[in-house]
Amino acid sequence: MTDAISYDVLQVTILSLYVSGSATILGSLIGVPLGALIGLKEFGGKGLLKTITYTMYGFPPVISGLFVYYLFSRGGPLGSFGILFTPTAMILAQTLLVVPLVTGVTISAVSEVDKSIKNTVLSLGASNRQATFTIIREAWVGVVTAVMIGFGRAIAEVGAAYMVGGNIEGKTRVLTTAIMLETRMGHFEYAVGLGVVLLIVACGIFLFMRWIQEREML
Amino acid sequence: MKGKKLTTIIIVLISVILVFAAVPLALQQEQTLRLATTTSAYDSGLLDYILPDFEKRYNCKVDVIAVGSGQAMELGKNGDVDILFVHSPDIEKQFVKDGYGEFRRLVCYNQFVIVGPAEDPVNVSHARDAKEAFLKIFQNGTSGKAIFVSRGDNSGTYAKEREIWSLLGMNTSSFNNTWYLSTGQGMGAVLDIAHEKRGYTLSDEATFYTRKGTGIIPDLEILFKGDPILYNQYSVIPINHTRWSHINYELAINFVNWITSPETQQLIGNFTDAYGHKLFVPNAASGAIMISCVVEIQISASERNNWW
Repeated sequence: MTDAISYDVLQVTILSLYVSGSATILGSLIGVPLGALIGLKEFGGKGLLKTITYTMYGFPPVISGLFVYYLFSRGGPLGSFGILFTPTAMILAQTLLVVPLVTGVTISAVSEVDKSIKNTVLSLGASNRQATFTIIREAWVGVVTAVMIGFGRAIAEVGAAYMVGGNIEGKTRVLTTAIMLETRMGHFEYAVGLGVVLLIVACGIFLFMRWIQEREML
Repeated sequence: MKGKKLTTIIIVLISVILVFAAVPLALQQEQTLRLATTTSAYDSGLLDYILPDFEKRYNCKVDVIAVGSGQAMELGKNGDVDILFVHSPDIEKQFVKDGYGEFRRLVCYNQFVIVGPAEDPVNVSHARDAKEAFLKIFQNGTSGKAIFVSRGDNSGTYAKEREIWSLLGMNTSSFNNTWYLSTGQGMGAVLDIAHEKRGYTLSDEATFYTRKGTGIIPDLEILFKGDPILYNQYSVIPINHTRWSHINYELAINFVNWITSPETQQLIGNFTDAYGHKLFVPNAASGAIMISCVVEIQISASERNNWW
């Protein structure tokens, strides 16, 4: 192998973390309350909504990318924002992928909390919101798992990041799009190396999240 | 109390993200030219070799977006890039004719080559031209003695492949998948498949040498090259700036003038890949360099009127 990687791997790694981290936080801020709502409230069409959520687990990243592309392309309805081929567009596309996972796993997590807890808290004079809060706390381990799965989806996907990021060196190149580039160019060793970097970074993040998981933070 | 702790963590995280987001914005003071190109052009390393000169001269940054040919044209149509550097002449001409591009300027060409197993079971290397080489593969393919691996996407390479088949009056959609494998994959992956299947394929020279150099396809060799129909013409097309007002047209025109200038043309001719192969032959029309944008616009307008 004579030609080396010409771009800054550290910068690519940091951007990966920034994009997928932001998407996970955004997706969790939407998905956890949504999951708690669907999981705890009784309403008509609840089963259908759950099925839709679970179906979206299979949402292809490229389609999420295409959706954001059409939204923010200059020819699209929000084209004037000019955010296509920026990290912001990548965050939005990945958020679309994260939300269903976080929502779905949160639904399962809060559903497993004994219903009697809610009744007990309510009978002790708690408001509905306080009761919901208590249940999320009881389901803490599951909720953090939901967030972890969301992060796993975001950091590992390549289709959306490539579609709306464009894999621009120094601007929107993340670990997964760099892996794809190296593979395409036949630099399999570099691709595997970058994959190892990705897993090491993921390991760090998951260690941190486990630390959060084992402490009851709420 | 614990709730407060979590709130603090969240606030810290969000502030970090916001600071981070501000960094690229602050750095975006210099002008940017968005250039869409094809993966094969990008992966050859040519742009990495020549672009620093342009960026230095015009104090700007070129954002290269390397995608499939079809996707590159689509990005241009939607005004998401300022300029195209592509290699599908017929589609490009239509693109300009339809008013999506200002005009088209030739830049350079490289070669497509017919590659296959080193022992060359159907004797493609003795063909007189590309047409005859394809005919040999077809005849042996239909009788089960050869395999052809096709890109089967809308790449420039696939367009070239179909052009050669059409010279024989053949249409790829009628081919049987026992010998003709339509993969829908990139050039590198197609070469890998051809190697595994001991099949033939059409490749651009650059990707073949890169793949060969990494040792992934030891048994695959170039068996036929040099027929002018196998020349792979690259052109630049600035995107229509009356259609999309945000297009950085001035910089795009500077780019056209720069890439067709004798200095840059020489730079392109000097480019070699990591293994020392000269890959690109510059062929921008000499004397086509415009002095000002106004002249360029007039000429492109008249070109649109008269040329097509």
